[in-house]
Amino acid sequence: MNKKNRLLLFLWLCAVALLLVGSILAPSGGHEETIREAMRDAVLHESNKINLPGIGPVNPGLISAVTVTAVLLAAALLIRIFVIPRFRYVPGKLQLLLEQGVSLFDNLAKTNSPWRNGFLGAYLFGAGCYIFFGTLFELLGVQAITTHGTSFTLPAPLSDVNAAIMLGVLSYFVICSGAVAGNGFHGIGSALKEISLLISMSFRLFGALLSGLLVTELVYYYVTLSFVLPVVVAVLFTLLHALIQSYVLTMLTALFYGEMSEPHERKPRAKRRKSAAPVQSN
Amino acid sequence: MNIPLNIDWRQILLHLFNFAILAGGLYILLYRPVKNFMKQREDYYQGLRDDAEQVKEQAEQLKTQYETQLSQADEAIDRKKAEAEQELEQLRERELADAQRRAGVILEKARENAEREHQEMLSKATRELTQLAVTTAEKMVLNAKGDPYEQFLDLAEKEDAHEQSE
Repeated sequence: MNKKNRLLLFLWLCAVALLLVGSILAPSGGHEETIREAMRDAVLHESNKINLPGIGPVNPGLISAVTVTAVLLAAALLIRIFVIPRFRYVPGKLQLLLEQGVSLFDNLAKTNSPWRNGFLGAYLFGAGCYIFFGTLFELLGVQAITTHGTSFTLPAPLSDVNAAIMLGVLSYFVICSGAVAGNGFHGIGSALKEISLLISMSFRLFGALLSGLLVTELVYYYVTLSFVLPVVVAVLFTLLHALIQSYVLTMLTALFYGEMSEPHERKPRAKRRKSAAPVQSN
Repeated sequence: MNIPLNIDWRQILLHLFNFAILAGGLYILLYRPVKNFMKQREDYYQGLRDDAEQVKEQAEQLKTQYETQLSQADEAIDRKKAEAEQELEQLRERELADAQRRAGVILEKARENAEREHQEMLSKATRELTQLAVTTAEKMVLNAKGDPYEQFLDLAEKEDAHEQSE
């Protein structure tokens, strides 16, 4: 290790030590709510609501969702204007990343559903990006002011049960649309048989992201748990959640969509009668 | 109606509205352009591949054509070679027959020459013997005393006496 690196390491250790001492010695603002209330509010969003102009008080998850959408669309617009026109046949790093992202969901749609996968690929891309970046959003710790005038850290959009229900139900309707497109009205029957998907997809998302939120909430509630542990709990768990949940929902949607949209050959009625006749005679 | 878990239909619709905007925007701004570009690149490389396949196919056809020509040339060479060998055999047989004929002529001439020389030698030897006999006789005559006929008779008697004594 050379002299410059040693100096940097020393400065970094000093900064960490100062921050540690400062955070211990600094007067705490105190908790405005108990851990029980904080946990309950993380699940139900009963007390900490944020005022959305024109709509009224809404759950913080909705504000997070709108923020994520705005950021993602702005980034997509910048990429569309400045990056995509400079695409080359031999891709650079950013181009490769974008192509991998698009082809990941496109291939997921094509491999799981060889029929009518154009719309499915686009939907999976949107849903995958929403879950992935929405989950990572909680790492930023963006603050918002609640209706009570207190500061509140915006959670992941899908830790709000309404967002999870929306995405689960929408995915189920996408699957139903595949069933109808593949088999007409006969497909509706097979789609209705999988009605439990509505609940399982919605609450799988909600439960997974909520568990991460609760653990993070618990860890940050106590000062003594707020050192080193959040690196594992908050960052790594959030990254894993982002990857796993976006993969699970998109993969399940693609899988069921492919299964439902598969065209089934139906026997003509005359043949069915003929084939049924010997059975009756026996 | 109070729905548990603070589920709010209005907020669900707001989330749906938000997601619809996000999904649509991402589709228009990212998904479609990137996919179009990848399709364009795939078409470009597919075109190159098709061209390469076409060139390869043409090369295969040319190769087949050349191989056919080569096999035909080999057949022609074999045929010419066989013809040449046949001609060579005929020529060799002709030459052999001619050489044998010439050898026969030479042998006949040699035999005739030998016969002639033999006859000449015989006649020459006869002549020489005759000449020798004459010369001997002359010498005997010239050196003899008395009548030759008497000498001859004496000699003859001597010969008889000699035989009888034996």
